[in-house]
Amino acid sequence: MQQILKISIADFWLIFRDASLKTFLFLPLLIFFVILWALPALIKAFPIVADYKKYILIVSTIQLTQMFGFIYGMMLVDEKETGVAKVYGILPVNKIGFIIGRFFMPIIITILLTFLLLLVQPFYNLASFPCLIFSILSGLLVPVYAIGVSLLSKNRIEGLVWVKVMNLIIVLPIVAFFVPKNISYFFSVFPTYWLYLGLDQMIFNQYFMINWAAGFLYLLILLTLFSLQFTKKHYE
Amino acid sequence: MIEVNNIGFSYLISSQKILNGISFKIHQGEIFGFLGPSGAGKSTTQKILYKILHGYTGEIKIAKKPLHDWDKSYLEKIGVGFEFPNHYLKLTGRENLQLFGSFYNANKLKPIPELFELVGIQDAIDKKVATYSKGMKMRLNFIRAIMHEPDILFFDEPTAGLDPGNAHKIKMYIKQLKEQGKTIFITTHNMNTADELCDRVSFINEGTLQITDTPQALKSRHGKHTVSVLLKNKMQQEFPLKNLGTNPEFLSFINSQEVEKIQTMEATLEEVFLKVTGKTLN
Ligand SMILES: Nc1ncnc2c1ncn2[C@@H]1O[C@H](COP(=O)(O)OP(=O)(O)OP(=O)(O)O)[C@@H](O)[C@H]1O
Ligand SMILES: [Mg+2]
Repeated sequence: MQQILKISIADFWLIFRDASLKTFLFLPLLIFFVILWALPALIKAFPIVADYKKYILIVSTIQLTQMFGFIYGMMLVDEKETGVAKVYGILPVNKIGFIIGRFFMPIIITILLTFLLLLVQPFYNLASFPCLIFSILSGLLVPVYAIGVSLLSKNRIEGLVWVKVMNLIIVLPIVAFFVPKNISYFFSVFPTYWLYLGLDQMIFNQYFMINWAAGFLYLLILLTLFSLQFTKKHYE
Repeated sequence: MIEVNNIGFSYLISSQKILNGISFKIHQGEIFGFLGPSGAGKSTTQKILYKILHGYTGEIKIAKKPLHDWDKSYLEKIGVGFEFPNHYLKLTGRENLQLFGSFYNANKLKPIPELFELVGIQDAIDKKVATYSKGMKMRLNFIRAIMHEPDILFFDEPTAGLDPGNAHKIKMYIKQLKEQGKTIFITTHNMNTADELCDRVSFINEGTLQITDTPQALKSRHGKHTVSVLLKNKMQQEFPLKNLGTNPEFLSFINSQEVEKIQTMEATLEEVFLKVTGKTLN
């Protein structure tokens, strides 16, 4: 625990020293603003928008993972590019423990923000326990996202490209709601497909646990594979 | 302190053997060097020793204990001076050391200002590393490697890319570390660095060690056992080292004129390397 705290403090310090990373800390404010004020105002002005509020809510919620996904993805890429990753490789910390340590705080914060957003959004009356489970799934997306970006990119430029691709992959399954059922299954290759499906069912009080269990399993497998590859390659 | 027995290694992507049955020992308090051309496998060997690369064959023991039986306390014990400067450029020098230092046992950490003074960059301690010159960054590398008082030190090309003045300073610090009883393993393709610094040196070429000995022994074994005398009038002659003091020709030669220079005709390490491996160092 002490180690985790140490790593988190060091990381937050790094984030605050970097203007482009620091800016992303304001992303949640923007998202909360959209859901609490902008979207309700929009619906009032153009009632037709109400038909889409569910999708906007789902996408906005999942966008909360962008903050730390981007920040940590770029941080890891930057460390690889500057060779700082090599220094971490010889520090007296356990390699897997280090991944857990680094992502502990960002995961927790993402979970809390997601949970809060689902509770305070003005459109649906959602039970808090399912909201918490969804938030945990959302939190798990952060390390998958960040480690994925760092595995795919050699430098910051490539990192910025892969961040965009990653965000697209995360948002894309929303399309599944707008296409015929048989085509929508195609989107099941994206982990967030399962999250969206479950959230949709939860909003309408249907049974959602199966989809979330699938999503959870999917994310866990990805996270394990990515972490193993990361510990092998990142410090070289 | 370090025993390496017949290790082999290849990177996953290329099945080609990068290291091919390498064996050597480094004693406590010794400076041991790998001298070899680019791509010989010097860095690879060090990376295996500081546990970044796994999946080698053969046996490595550190202080009599197999390397893979060591837990992270091994990493408290070692310091690594990387081949290229690698720091957080947006942080100051002090902040860089604070950050990485926080992962080590706090009782053993040396005071940061003292470290900066040691290598003469105390004026830059609170400047961002992005503003440092290459030589300053390498000195920061150096003090980061020693800040936690490690017993074993790895320096990968410690003088590469430094001007002679800075290179000399780094060599001095490494010698001081040896005097404190540290075990030191350096790699270099610079014969002067190997010659001045190392107690013993191994020639490495294409993943194999060709020969291991003291620089002095290597040079004299492969050089001519003669001394060359140059007089003020530019007359020059060579005499065998054997019975030099009683050699009448030598004595009359050095008495015939004022002597400008006398030198033994031992080989340079570079020449020995070429002779042993058939390759140049660069
Ligand atoms: N990550 C890697 N993946 C695949 N091959 C590698 C990798 N790193 C090094 N090699 C190869 O291994 C060989 C030995 O490399 P190594 O870095 O150990 O050489 P070196 O003696 O340190 O050279 P230099 O003097 O240039 O630093 C080279 O042929 C190199 O191309
Ligand atoms: Mg090298």
